[in-house]
Amino acid sequence: MDHAKLALLASATIVAVLLGVAFLGPSGERVIVATTTSTADSGLMDYLKPYFEAECGTSLSWISLGSGQAVAVASRGDADVLLIHDREREEQFVSSGNGTLRVTVFYNDFIIVGPIGDPANASSRDAKVSMGSIANAGRSGAALFVSRGDNSGTHALEKRLWAALGIGELENLGWYKSAGSGMSATLRLASELGAYTLADRATFCRLKGSMGEALRLEVVCEGDPSLLNPYSVVLLNSSRYPKIRYEQAIDFLLFITSPEGQGLVGNFTVSGERVFFPIYGKTESIGLPPEDEAVAIIEALRTRGHVV
Amino acid sequence: MWCDSMGWIEIFLDGISEAFGLILSSDAEILGIAALSLKVSMIATLLGAAFGVPLGFLIASRSFYGRSLTIAVINTFMGIPPVVVGLAVYLLLSSSGPLGFLSILYTPQAMILAQTLLTFPVVCGLTVSSILALDQRLKETLQSLSAPKLWEAFILLRESRIGLITAVIAAFGAAISEVGAIMMVGGNILGYTRALTTAIMLYTNTGEFALAIALGIILLLLSFGVNLALTILQMRYRKKR
Repeated sequence: MDHAKLALLASATIVAVLLGVAFLGPSGERVIVATTTSTADSGLMDYLKPYFEAECGTSLSWISLGSGQAVAVASRGDADVLLIHDREREEQFVSSGNGTLRVTVFYNDFIIVGPIGDPANASSRDAKVSMGSIANAGRSGAALFVSRGDNSGTHALEKRLWAALGIGELENLGWYKSAGSGMSATLRLASELGAYTLADRATFCRLKGSMGEALRLEVVCEGDPSLLNPYSVVLLNSSRYPKIRYEQAIDFLLFITSPEGQGLVGNFTVSGERVFFPIYGKTESIGLPPEDEAVAIIEALRTRGHVV
Repeated sequence: MWCDSMGWIEIFLDGISEAFGLILSSDAEILGIAALSLKVSMIATLLGAAFGVPLGFLIASRSFYGRSLTIAVINTFMGIPPVVVGLAVYLLLSSSGPLGFLSILYTPQAMILAQTLLTFPVVCGLTVSSILALDQRLKETLQSLSAPKLWEAFILLRESRIGLITAVIAAFGAAISEVGAIMMVGGNILGYTRALTTAIMLYTNTGEFALAIALGIILLLLSFGVNLALTILQMRYRKKR
């Protein structure tokens, strides 16, 4: 009898202690950025983390998702701030009242990559011509195209490019494979299948750096203005999502738009190559509309006396 | 082809040497990842056992209407895909979900909760079957002695301890090896919710195969250590019997 009571008491204590350890641990101050696979996979977020933490005293956490999923997670109030690259979705997010402010913070470019030797003769300065060649070669069985297929910003651009060529119902095409994966996984799949794909330069460089010759892909199209890839920070509407860490989200926005943050982004390299270019307040220079209003708000926030 | 297979072997050998390099150099980031995996899965296993053993015992020792159905449901949940649990827990803990007020999404606590939901049916189902497997005469004897219920439970659980340890081993194996649930509710956040399995996914994606293999080896070694301890315990019990 005593044995049984003792055993019961002991196990109850163990459970109580474990629950305490598990659920009452201090979680500390942090900010959760919902971001794209490209900023995370390229290593940019790892690179920025210590600088942001030293500056703001807040731990920088991020979840890497396709831009579509990142917006979905933010719409549920599960992230504090967005760093994504899908202009249409960003603007929709703000106009629907879920977000309050959107500002372009840096950019890079998309590239079309394909198997070594370019069997589809897709090499071109014009993205439409390049994609058209891939489609033609695909129809004759000489090429494959792998799509992200995950509602990411990259996937959105790819769909716009196909739409411009008048190619629809992509999922029914034999030469079109939908990967449903992040950028790195899609690139590896394209490499294995000997297929073409649309990629952001940062992730391609990172993967090329880590895999070397094993990534059997080369660039076939770059430099087309339609392949421009601007990244934005979007602030969430704190009255709609009262539980988000709004002050920390503003700290993140102010950090990345500060001269220091912009400099860090510009200095970040992957295998010796710069892959992101700061553009805060200078969007006209790459042919995007000016963002004076957003910049004015951010500068007002900065003078209001935030940490950064 | 020959080149390809050489590459394969090289990557594996690289991974093995990198694994031992990482262990010996006690790299802080890797140690943190391994410690988190171990902590989350061990707590989830113990919590799963804390709830699964008593419930399994009750189901096995009472006869009630729909008992077979209950057992079948529990056995089905033993094989539930971790991503389904991940999705359910995500929606539960999401800010706009019913448990959003806890604010534990993307924390180790959320990972423990998700894995507990995975370990609980494993422990519960295996407890049911090991209690049911006990000699019917033992139960009858205990009942004829009209021993206190708690005492009876203690004797029956002690008699099935080998099966209970098997249940704990299976539950721990399910927890430490899963990636779907903790990826969804933990978010794979560096230095906070990045566990061995989610890190392996990440490093595989970014093409750092040697590092991914190294983490896989560390995972296996940790799992081996825990299982060795549990198995020794199990064997010792067997001798006493």
